[in-house]
Amino acid sequence: MQLKVLQEIINKKKNKSEFAIVTNLETSSSEIFELNKPISKNFEKYKDQINYFYKNKKNGVIEDTNIFVETYIRPIKVIIVGAVHIAQYLINYAKSLNFEIAVIDPRGYFATEQRFPGMKILNKWPDEAFKEIKTNSNTALIALTHDPKIDDPALQHALKKKFYYIGALGSKKTHANRCQRLTEAGFSNDEINLINGPIGIKLGGKSAPEIALSIIAQLVAETYKK
Amino acid sequence: MKNSFDEKILEEAYDWVKANQKVVLATVIQTWGSSPRPTGSRMIVNENGDFSGSVSGGCVESAVVRECIGIIKDNKPFKKIEFKVSNESAWEVGLACGGEIAVYLEQVN
Repeated sequence: MQLKVLQEIINKKKNKSEFAIVTNLETSSSEIFELNKPISKNFEKYKDQINYFYKNKKNGVIEDTNIFVETYIRPIKVIIVGAVHIAQYLINYAKSLNFEIAVIDPRGYFATEQRFPGMKILNKWPDEAFKEIKTNSNTALIALTHDPKIDDPALQHALKKKFYYIGALGSKKTHANRCQRLTEAGFSNDEINLINGPIGIKLGGKSAPEIALSIIAQLVAETYKK
Repeated sequence: MKNSFDEKILEEAYDWVKANQKVVLATVIQTWGSSPRPTGSRMIVNENGDFSGSVSGGCVESAVVRECIGIIKDNKPFKKIEFKVSNESAWEVGLACGGEIAVYLEQVN
């Protein structure tokens, strides 16, 4: 692989683009494939097969050829509402899994640089913050404040935008009250049941890093169910 | 949805090259049976035998490192190697899990 191509790949990953790397195994020359962009003559006759791998998010050698295709998809975006203790641990797990992370908390005393070094925190109410973040069905929401004023607008946004994972911290009782409020706000039972509450898989731990682990484990499991 | 849990190996390869090291990318390009890591899994190796990432569960990494150092020494741009089921009675490199993998080695140039 040429260094130039390697650098291009890294830039594309940084910009969260979706693309594929195509390599001719007989020459080790590689180039980047992007949807609706021209591809060089060397790979032109494989365009349909490359497209097939790309669309199916597959890696592999195209049958009866020496062309290897490797696809890169956009990282999953995880929005954490509540710059609380658990969030500090969640961010570390989420980073090592290459999630793209955004933290929202309107309470300035939580959302500080000292507590979240190098992390961009949206010090706004969810309704305002969501105007700045592009979201879609490839986005996940983790609501951690268990304060209805902050969590509820975020949960409503996530349900409307059909996030693939929605989780909310709080006891069974807190969650039942939350479901009641969402019903009153006009959401159906099927929609409300999409919320993972109480959040996380059962590990038994009660400490902040243990709860963060149980949340991230549930998030990864849900990612593969899609 | 397929996972996007990327391991940032290519980024590391780039840093190594920038630090004036010779770097070989080793990528799993084909698998058969119960191979330990999926197609697209990758490790990088430099001329000193330092490596990062993986192409199996630790079964064949030492052989891959040797092969990578070999192509740097011989100044070969690339090489394809295959690993099959290991014979447990022999002291050899192979996949204890019973799968087969093809690994493509290529120098960054």
